[in-house]
Amino acid sequence: MITLKDIASEDMPIYVGLLTEDQKNQLTGQLYTDDSYFNPIQDAEDNWVISTEEMQFCTNPDFLWVKDLPLILYNPKPSPPFPPEI
Amino acid sequence: MSFIIDPYRFQFCSDADATAFILAAGITDTTQRQAICQLVKDLKTYGIWSKMKAIYPFCGSTATQHKYNLKDPRDLDAAFRLVFFGGGSHSSNGYLPNGVNSYADTKLNLSLVLTNYSNNLSYYSRTNNNPSIDFDMGVGTQLGNNSNSLFIKRSNDTAGYDTGNASSINRISFANSNSLGFYNGSITANNSRKYYKNGVNQISNTNVLTQLNPNANLFIGAYNEYDLVRANYYGSKQCAFASIGDGLTDTEAANLYTAVQAYQTTLGRQV
Repeated sequence: MITLKDIASEDMPIYVGLLTEDQKNQLTGQLYTDDSYFNPIQDAEDNWVISTEEMQFCTNPDFLWVKDLPLILYNPKPSPPFPPEI
Repeated sequence: MSFIIDPYRFQFCSDADATAFILAAGITDTTQRQAICQLVKDLKTYGIWSKMKAIYPFCGSTATQHKYNLKDPRDLDAAFRLVFFGGGSHSSNGYLPNGVNSYADTKLNLSLVLTNYSNNLSYYSRTNNNPSIDFDMGVGTQLGNNSNSLFIKRSNDTAGYDTGNASSINRISFANSNSLGFYNGSITANNSRKYYKNGVNQISNTNVLTQLNPNANLFIGAYNEYDLVRANYYGSKQCAFASIGDGLTDTEAANLYTAVQAYQTTLGRQV
């Protein structure tokens, strides 16, 4: 399992933290640091994930466990066809 | 012995609006204070200030400093104070959305605040990149209806602006090989839309539009698919200024660029 401690800062953008459904529900609507809210999204395989920035910059004592989430390579969900590309 | 107290010693700027913002955002750096002060004065001199509903100068280096609306620096949704979601980062160069899950909700509902067929959206980009499909600010339906949105550069080197039109119909767009700079889309009538880069008009359109402003908030760094109640098409261009207001004329668009570029130059982050 890869975690934040195992990767270099320049590699962080290609990874996301993997959440369980229950963890996603815990984080939704919660602050991870001053004036910034968690935003769990689904990747192409419908995994719930958060960005490495939310993990790295989390200072909310109730959610410091996000720093130990397993990392996976970010595979974005394909965008719907609309709004269309011109 | 008597002391004479200089009444201006604790006043950061002779403009009350600038001073209110500086105090609310906790701006302590002298250069940043001067930049905000001059920006407000310039916008008022040009007659643009009164046309703006929300101005986000992204002064300071934290989310707490970046969230304030220069026009109304109260920490309230009703003041269109930004609410940040997801990752992204904040620095003295602005707000950098991550293109994965980050955006800022302006809390500004277009149908409640703006007149149909009169608006401007502006975004100062400090990033040159070309994601496949993104929006740097916007709101509309998943099918692109009632869209009021702006993107700066996609993988086909195109910049686009939607307002009062379906995204698939009558979008105005221009070829853009470099996404650095100040972008401003403006509509002044249902048959007059323009998209400016660095104060210079790039594309005009006079087709008559019929769609109305959406009953939803505009997002910065993503597109608010309000019918699906979600953000999508996340952007990844560092934002050093953004604004939402009434439609601007050519002269006003040029003057807005002049004021914003001077502001960025004072802060040493101009592109």
